[in-house]
Amino acid sequence: MTQFFPAGEPFALYVVIAFLGVSLFLYCLLGGADFGAGVLELYLGKERRQAQRQVIEKAMGPVWEANHMWLVLMVVILFVGFPAVYTRVSINLHIPLTAMLLGVIARGTSFTFRHYDAVKDGSQRAYTAFFVFSSVWTPFFLGVTMGALVPGGLNPAPASYAAGYVDPWLRPFPLALGAFTVCLFTFLAAVYLVGESDDAALRRSFIRKAVWGAVATVLAGAVVFVAAEFDGVPLVREFLATRTATTAMMVTSVLFPWLLIALVRDWIWTGRAIAGLQVALVLLGWFRVQFPVLVNMPGGDLTLFNAHAPEATLNQLAGALLVGSILILPALAWLFRVFKARPKDS
Amino acid sequence: MGNAGGRPKRSDSHVILHFLLFFRSLYPQFFFSYSPFPILNSPFSSTYLWGMEDLLAARLQMALSLGFHIIFAVIGMAMPFLMAISHWRWIRTGKQVYFDLTKAWSRGVAIFFATGAVSGTALSFELGLLWPEFMLHAGPIIGMPFSWEGTAFFIEAIALGLFLYGWNRLKPWVHWVVGVVVGISGVLSGIFVVCANAWMNSPAGFDWIVDAAGKVQVSNVDPFAAMFNPAWKTMTLHMTISAFQATGFGVAGVHAFMMLRKPSVFHREAFKIALAVGAIAALLQPLSGDILAKDTAVRQPLKLAAMESHFETAPRAPLVLGGIPDAETRTVDYGLEIPGVLSFLAHGNVNAPVKGLNDFPREEWPPLKPVHFAFQIMIACGMAMAGLGALYLLFLAVPRLRPLVLHRRFLWLCALAAPLGFIAVEAGWVVTEVGRQPWIIYGIMKTRDALTPMPGLAVPFLLFMAVYAVLAVVVTWLLIRHITTVEQHYPSARDQS
Repeated sequence: MTQFFPAGEPFALYVVIAFLGVSLFLYCLLGGADFGAGVLELYLGKERRQAQRQVIEKAMGPVWEANHMWLVLMVVILFVGFPAVYTRVSINLHIPLTAMLLGVIARGTSFTFRHYDAVKDGSQRAYTAFFVFSSVWTPFFLGVTMGALVPGGLNPAPASYAAGYVDPWLRPFPLALGAFTVCLFTFLAAVYLVGESDDAALRRSFIRKAVWGAVATVLAGAVVFVAAEFDGVPLVREFLATRTATTAMMVTSVLFPWLLIALVRDWIWTGRAIAGLQVALVLLGWFRVQFPVLVNMPGGDLTLFNAHAPEATLNQLAGALLVGSILILPALAWLFRVFKARPKDS
Repeated sequence: MGNAGGRPKRSDSHVILHFLLFFRSLYPQFFFSYSPFPILNSPFSSTYLWGMEDLLAARLQMALSLGFHIIFAVIGMAMPFLMAISHWRWIRTGKQVYFDLTKAWSRGVAIFFATGAVSGTALSFELGLLWPEFMLHAGPIIGMPFSWEGTAFFIEAIALGLFLYGWNRLKPWVHWVVGVVVGISGVLSGIFVVCANAWMNSPAGFDWIVDAAGKVQVSNVDPFAAMFNPAWKTMTLHMTISAFQATGFGVAGVHAFMMLRKPSVFHREAFKIALAVGAIAALLQPLSGDILAKDTAVRQPLKLAAMESHFETAPRAPLVLGGIPDAETRTVDYGLEIPGVLSFLAHGNVNAPVKGLNDFPREEWPPLKPVHFAFQIMIACGMAMAGLGALYLLFLAVPRLRPLVLHRRFLWLCALAAPLGFIAVEAGWVVTEVGRQPWIIYGIMKTRDALTPMPGLAVPFLLFMAVYAVLAVVVTWLLIRHITTVEQHYPSARDQS
């Protein structure tokens, strides 16, 4: 256990790490699905497009801003708790982060403008176009940024512009992870939307999308492992060598048939819980393989234990997160209770 | 004239001269040498792209992002309270107009909040993207206000979702309380962010050690002392009041304009609620401004001197109205000087000496013209609003004058005053931010030392500028569409009684 709990680290550090992990998980689970819903608007088919769009708007409208906050919380935890990581990532991954930010801005505003424009006219098409495009773009660059932390390309003293600011992310593994992120979020959104639709035909159309989303996610996951080999990241070997990671992978795969049964039988919350568990397992496997490294670096990795802020800062950050969660979590639970209580079957 | 029939022959020295002039024209100081803004004239080093230097591009991107976000932040702080007033009246009286007003305002707030939330998210990344050296050291020190800000922002987003979509799902009183929570968390979130900014102006709660190799080591971090630094009270007070003032006058002005076009119960009630809030804030603001000025005179005498274009330390220091400060000759041209007033404003005594710019090394001066002009603009806008606010409260207080509240001339004045609060907010932000230059952490770290090593920062700056320009146009357009169609959506907007 000394591997997980090296001597001399303050307790607050573990609280902060837990919150960082939970924020990432919930951002993928909730914020991610909101992006996925935008991606799904590309695949509405010919029939009942407007009805499907309304399901998406009704599902996202009250909650997307709260879901987005997990990203803000992650950034705050990073720059307060792990300033060296935040700074290194901000410097070398300036380009994908800026791309992601522009996507965040475009997605949030276009979604809101579409709903709140007082006059519903041709401009709706423009909002939708921006909304859909940025819903693909943003999670892609989120995945690229996360992926770029792994191959060890973040160079503090680059020889050239390309070596410092382009090569770290414009390579197979980050790009594959970007594609995987888009597929995963789309799959999640489809699973959730099954339970948001109140008629059987719409539910069937979202079940179909969920199945295709699952297929795409599994394929993209395979591509991530292949890309890792191309990029010199020994991901396959490390996964196989880590029992937690392989178990997580296996359980994730075994869960797919159960998910399908749950969706078809209309066990809405079971289906959502299974999909959520799958995301948790994917993140857990990745976390376990990477542990304790946050950023692989040529001259010495940045880890959870060597890149954190001084103890006084961690103590207050942990305190703020704990007190904050006493305020936030019940409020969030209430928000979801009010808007996500099971729709009555018609 | 020796080469008749051919092109005029040029000597080699001519060729070299033109060559040099061409390259000189690529150098930004050449472009900007006529600029009225000295920030564009300061000496720079390092990489150039599209004629713009990285430090300049980064500063402009930060100024643009903050200047854009602050409008939405200010509206997000104050607007929920305007809604809460009208919501309260609806619950108590059941009058249609207050229901309509709450709904119509909340639709506007939804647009503003979404834009503010995403531009605020962008800022939390831009701090690192542009100023990583600053965040590396400052992040752990000012983590406390930021972690509380994250919490408040989160609560605000949850409460806003509940408020906007909760009309048929929540009990009226619960719904009202949720709306008030939106406002309270919005104000708290603004206060926490300004606490972090106050720390940049008045750093506290750490030891800053620079070793022989020039490497910075921060120790003895005290997050409480950093958050509750000497400037936090005065700055957050001034900013919070300004939010209510700007939003109150902005909203009142819009509805006053609509009243002039076509009076209705809807616009009348909206105008009264908004102007009452704006008027009270406008009358309190000079007091908070005075407290902040006295505080600045002690903490950042250099900033105060730049604001006032005050060069020579002397007792009975004059207040300079207008005027163009000249950093080279160390004089103010065309200004109106009122002796002793600056001493009185800064220290409460006409004979007190006020430190002038000449007491400080030239290289530590902030750019004088933007700070002085912005300060004058802020004061002028504030005075105009305070006058209008006092007039409004007078009309309300004296029964005989009450009809004047809806007098066309008064409505015109209010309509014209609509942008003043936002202009003052922007100007005040320029005063405090440009007035802090060349420091990013006052007296500790220079802005240029915090810059990211990534070259080519003109590209993200121009990208953000394009995005925010488009957003500004679209939000304005949406607002106009929203306001001009209220008659179709809300019965009280058709009611002219």
